[in-house]
Amino acid sequence: MVAAMLPYLTEKFGNASSVHRLGQEARAAVDRARREVATLIGARANEIVFVSGGTEANNLAIRGICEASAGQGRHIITSAIEHSSVRGICEALEKRGWEVTRLPVYEYGIVKVEDVHAALRPDTVLISVMLANNEIGTLQPIEEIGTLVRAEREHTTRKLWFHTDAVQAAGRMEVNVETLGCDLLSLSAHKLYAPKGTGALYVRRGVRLAPQNLGGHQERERRAGTEGVPGIVAFGEAARLAHLETNERTQHEERLRTIFENGVTQRIDDIVFNGDPARRLPHLSNISFRFIEGEGLLISLDLQGIAVSTGSACSSGTLEPSPVIIALGRNDELARGAIRFSFGKDNTEADVEDVLEVLPRVVEKLRQLSPLNKDRRLEAVSVE
Amino acid sequence: MEHPRNGGELDDADTVAEEINPVCGDRLRLALKIDNRTIKAARFLAYGCPPVLVCASALTELIQGKTVKDALQVTRKQLVEAVGGLPLRKQHAAALAIETLRSAIENKDSGGKPTFPT
Repeated sequence: MVAAMLPYLTEKFGNASSVHRLGQEARAAVDRARREVATLIGARANEIVFVSGGTEANNLAIRGICEASAGQGRHIITSAIEHSSVRGICEALEKRGWEVTRLPVYEYGIVKVEDVHAALRPDTVLISVMLANNEIGTLQPIEEIGTLVRAEREHTTRKLWFHTDAVQAAGRMEVNVETLGCDLLSLSAHKLYAPKGTGALYVRRGVRLAPQNLGGHQERERRAGTEGVPGIVAFGEAARLAHLETNERTQHEERLRTIFENGVTQRIDDIVFNGDPARRLPHLSNISFRFIEGEGLLISLDLQGIAVSTGSACSSGTLEPSPVIIALGRNDELARGAIRFSFGKDNTEADVEDVLEVLPRVVEKLRQLSPLNKDRRLEAVSVE
Repeated sequence: MEHPRNGGELDDADTVAEEINPVCGDRLRLALKIDNRTIKAARFLAYGCPPVLVCASALTELIQGKTVKDALQVTRKQLVEAVGGLPLRKQHAAALAIETLRSAIENKDSGGKPTFPT
């Protein structure tokens, strides 16, 4: 992948919108990448709009549809566990008079199609539900929602569009826009191991969007701005490799996760797995460790060379526990103690063994320092 | 964070206090052994983001061996310096540590009864 992009950082430095030879060379490379990305999701090349990443793809999809369709209605349906970019866009639209229905996801983090159906209103213009959640990996019933949207469009003359954020899912499962029945789909290059700073939005032929970047003809008038050619070339190569290797990667990651989850279950008490045990991406494991705070666990693991993530962020003394874990009905303690472990194609069984060796020690050490844990033990003694 | 000092409890504590940051739920419990108006030992238990643990650990190091009067002079700024600085949004961790120390000493002055927030 690096080899594929290197020439576009050195001798092939043309601007893809330039008419001269260097420019045309860059244009050809961008178009090749466009075909690779389209192939990964079963789309046509001219349905791919390159953007700067998943967040921009989500912005272009949701704001683009809402601005273009404002005359038909001002209601959006989404879920309670969308990526922060979708959450942020919906909140901003609410301030401008849009109404947003956020569907519940219940204990396992999955939206019910009947809830989508019940939430539909004559003024609904967009449904945006992610394909797979970025913290807990649960898969949403996108195909069923797609079928519902198509039926709705057939039976009425209404304009209703369906967007799915597939940033976390692409490369981890088969993603096909025809099977899913979506009109818009967001992708991010770095989730496929390409450099950060590139993404794409799939826009089904015939779907009209109000561009969010203005002042240039790039991307068929849908996203003005000079294309980031090296990043796009790498994205194309990453998509090609992901398309070839999805099954192999998936099996590898799932095997590592099984070893990990079995090991954690055997070695650590007072944990809660978050998300659906079956309907989820193969590479994510989200666990709440009782009595301790995720950020402390994250830093302690980082000091041992293990990189994990939390969904919560403590800032200005205001802790915002992960809204995703809260949406599962978990309490603040479990939401604060939630950690996401993710396994990649280059991880090995030895890596997992390392984590299983370090994690119980680190959890125990933090629990030794936790007043919640001490109180729990005192309570246990007094009950006995 | 790698080697927190003075974590735990004191069986023979003269005073114990626990304070909570009501906004984010950070929780710090501080136990002191005080002899002849001097802090002979300090132990902490903490639940919260890493700066809470780090500040609690640094505070116990700062106050052990100090007279109660001198310990009360320790400022938030000194504690922040002792941990090598804290970003603005994590300053509350140092404030919680100082507040818990003051509560513990107040408890001692009022008869040593521990007060735990509910």
